[in-house]
Amino acid sequence: MRHEQVKKLVFISGVATLAALALMACSILWPSPLLLVVAMSVGQGLGTLSLALYLLAIVLDLQGGSGSLDAAAEDRIESAGEAKSSTP
Amino acid sequence: MVADGPVSSIHSVEELLKLVALACTVASAAIILWYLVRRPPLGRVTKVLLLLGLGLLPVMVALTGNIAGYEFTLSRQFCGSCHVMGPYVRDAGDPKSQSLAAIHSRNHKFGEQSCYTCHADYDMFGAITTKLTGLRHLFHYVSEYAGTGPDGEGGPTIKLYKRQDLEKGKVTLAAFNGRMNGVCGQCHSTYAATWVEKHGAFADDVRSNAQICIDCHNEIHPTALARRPGAPAAEEKK
Repeated sequence: MRHEQVKKLVFISGVATLAALALMACSILWPSPLLLVVAMSVGQGLGTLSLALYLLAIVLDLQGGSGSLDAAAEDRIESAGEAKSSTP
Repeated sequence: MVADGPVSSIHSVEELLKLVALACTVASAAIILWYLVRRPPLGRVTKVLLLLGLGLLPVMVALTGNIAGYEFTLSRQFCGSCHVMGPYVRDAGDPKSQSLAAIHSRNHKFGEQSCYTCHADYDMFGAITTKLTGLRHLFHYVSEYAGTGPDGEGGPTIKLYKRQDLEKGKVTLAAFNGRMNGVCGQCHSTYAATWVEKHGAFADDVRSNAQICIDCHNEIHPTALARRPGAPAAEEKK
């Protein structure tokens, strides 16, 4: 249950960061008064919120102990990949 | 020999910061898209990569983007991006104009930042108060001038906050005059021999802020909207 919650939080954080990056990039590429104000307020607020969500997800992940499980899963995937590549 | 490409077109710190911001944006977006598409398990490597993509790189984008954005807000091009400022900016950039704005804009110390150099508050928190005033400008622009003519025709007469503050009693005359003369005094010394020679009779009045420079030197923006035929007379001073 908590694992799903963590995944959802990271997903929302990723989408919010993409939106924040798009706003900030637009203000750099096409600077105009309104766009600069929006990028510096909404864009950066969204970016800060998404970082906070990601950090919350990590804390929840560590509290639930699923971090070690995921790490183990990732290690298994990596070692499986290496074994595949070393096989003639 | 200089190679052609994006690097050869970097001529200022502002442009370099923009390039860094865009590079960080691309790197951050690549990491996030990789995660969203592949959905790998949240192991140590993934977490560190996401910390980079969701934290460190966007912070870099914000920092460099803010500085580059702030630098751009100082430019005449930025002030001219609101159509209401058209007559002012065209006059400032006119090589034949003899208005104070144009003469000062031809000076390389003002150059492309001539609006900001004269209209910014120059005191301790001047940059901050100037930008806060800019937000008021933006609000009035969006709420009152959005549907006006190519140069703001049909909109209300442009008023200047410093003089409005004086009229409303928010600042004293001494403070207002001191601020006005302080702007000119950034470059023009009232103790230079040539200045004393020309202004001898008024020298003490100007130094004590009893008289302000623009009382006499008032051809600042002669093509401004308020001075067009048929337009109501309005304050032209800062």
